[in-house]
Amino acid sequence: MTTYTPEKRAARPRPPYLALLATWRGRIGLALVGLVAAAGLLAPLLTGHDPTAQSGQGLLGPGAPGHPLGTDELGRDLLSRLLYGIRTDLGLIGLAVPLGAVLGCLAALAAAAHPAADTVVQRVFDLVLAFPGLILALLVIAVAGPGWLPVVLVIALAEIPVFGRQLRAGILVQRGREYVTAARVGGTSRTRLLVRHILPNAAEPLIVQFAVSLTVAVFLEGAMSFLGVGVRPPEPTLGNVLAQAMPYLAQSPHVAAGPLVVITALVAGLSLLADALNREIRR
Amino acid sequence: MRSHLLRRLPSAALVLLLASFLVFAVLRLVPGDPATTLAGPDASEATVAAIRDRLGLDEPLPVQYAAWIGALVTGDLGPSYVIGGEVADLIGDGLGATVELTLGALLFALLLGGVLGILGATARRGWTRAAVRAVTAGALAVPPFVTGVLLVLLFSVTLGVLPPGGRVPLLTAPDLGVQYLLLPALCLALPSAAVLGRYLQEGLRQALAEDYVLTATAAGIAPRRLLWRHALPNALPPVVTLVGIQTGHLLGGAVLVEAIFAWPGLGQLAEQALNRRDYPVVQDLLLLLVAVFVVVQLLTDLAYAWLDPRIRWE
Repeated sequence: MTTYTPEKRAARPRPPYLALLATWRGRIGLALVGLVAAAGLLAPLLTGHDPTAQSGQGLLGPGAPGHPLGTDELGRDLLSRLLYGIRTDLGLIGLAVPLGAVLGCLAALAAAAHPAADTVVQRVFDLVLAFPGLILALLVIAVAGPGWLPVVLVIALAEIPVFGRQLRAGILVQRGREYVTAARVGGTSRTRLLVRHILPNAAEPLIVQFAVSLTVAVFLEGAMSFLGVGVRPPEPTLGNVLAQAMPYLAQSPHVAAGPLVVITALVAGLSLLADALNREIRR
Repeated sequence: MRSHLLRRLPSAALVLLLASFLVFAVLRLVPGDPATTLAGPDASEATVAAIRDRLGLDEPLPVQYAAWIGALVTGDLGPSYVIGGEVADLIGDGLGATVELTLGALLFALLLGGVLGILGATARRGWTRAAVRAVTAGALAVPPFVTGVLLVLLFSVTLGVLPPGGRVPLLTAPDLGVQYLLLPALCLALPSAAVLGRYLQEGLRQALAEDYVLTATAAGIAPRRLLWRHALPNALPPVVTLVGIQTGHLLGGAVLVEAIFAWPGLGQLAEQALNRRDYPVVQDLLLLLVAVFVVVQLLTDLAYAWLDPRIRWE
């Protein structure tokens, strides 16, 4: 006869987002991302200048009185352009990536519910993925016009098939597991089986994808600015402040320095987080 | 293998067909058309209507679509509406520049990836391995527009040895052309080099851990010869497949690198044609790009199936 002893049950594994703090990758990644995010969120407290106000003094080097990072060719304070640029990027990315993730997951769930829906969803994903990301951006912006919202749409659109395909693959794997058969034999409804049993197990790798997608979003925003289809200046983003520094690189490299450092820190932090999450989930 | 290909072909053809609808429809949704661009901002309605009539833009949309596909099938792409010149010439010129950039980048990716892979798998010193890891992670994570700006800052602004942008065709003036090609090709190559390096390193590690390597070492074969003649050939096949996939990535990434370095390739042409509503150029160009991507994806699927026979599609 077997006895049930709850004490001997294996300890519930830590959720990956907590376990992150135990690794050096997770700590450094979180610190870098947190630092950049805090700088963006606290922008109004950290600088007194309007990021779009032109002082009329023209280019100033770093360390100029009142302008710690100097000013650009129009006399705009570079520190506030950088900080408010982070703020714009955070807003863009924070809206676009979850939007793309949710839409992608909904599409994958619909595909899992019915084979006909699966075929349609698969072809739509193929179609979106068939366009190189930046060509897709050019097309969307040509129709929607430049601006903040179209950039969000482009990033979300690019992320939908990424999340959708990954969740679909996860669902297919989980469906073959014994617990699913057991639940089905036990009379669980199809919907409940999919949403309450399969989805939580299939969705775990998506946490890693989410971190990777945030990096891709930083990349897409910057790339769109360089192609001239991003958020329109004078509103600053990390990408367009850097893109606008390009023509003046020889005379005033300091204009590019701020965005270079911040983008690198942000992307490095997010990559470390994704890496740490990946290791944690694979254990 | 052949059944795989046959099963994937219809869906690839379907994607191409849907893409042609999409490109055609999206262009008609864009505010403004070639006639308004050609006529200029102050033109009268009658002038715009006359140009529309001349270009056939007043025909019903299905007729315009059929005319476009018909032209594609016969291979005569016709003249561009706004930019000027034949569509085939414009796309040909852009394609030449993009292919030159992509091949340059591929060469860099192979060289750098090879060095990173071999160093990473064979280095004994901890700090060498750490350096290889850091370079690989950096090349993979940092966006091309950041590395692009850094490369220009270092080689053009500080050292003043290479031009910051533009292109001289490699075939007309090789010595000058190389100088213009180096920075954009390196910028484009870095992420691919990192991916290739990682795979090569992993493959070499596994190959060097095999029993035959131990036997060969015991038989007194020099480590260098062991690496180049025994381990490397065994580690290469998956990497070769990956090279094909990365070539597709390079073509896609070229759009951004062309914008950074003012490289007059297909990406720049797409941007210009879209801005000026040059319907035939945009349609043909985008469909070409989609076709290239569909073929690359098809090859990728086949390569995976060839590498791992367990892969099945329902």
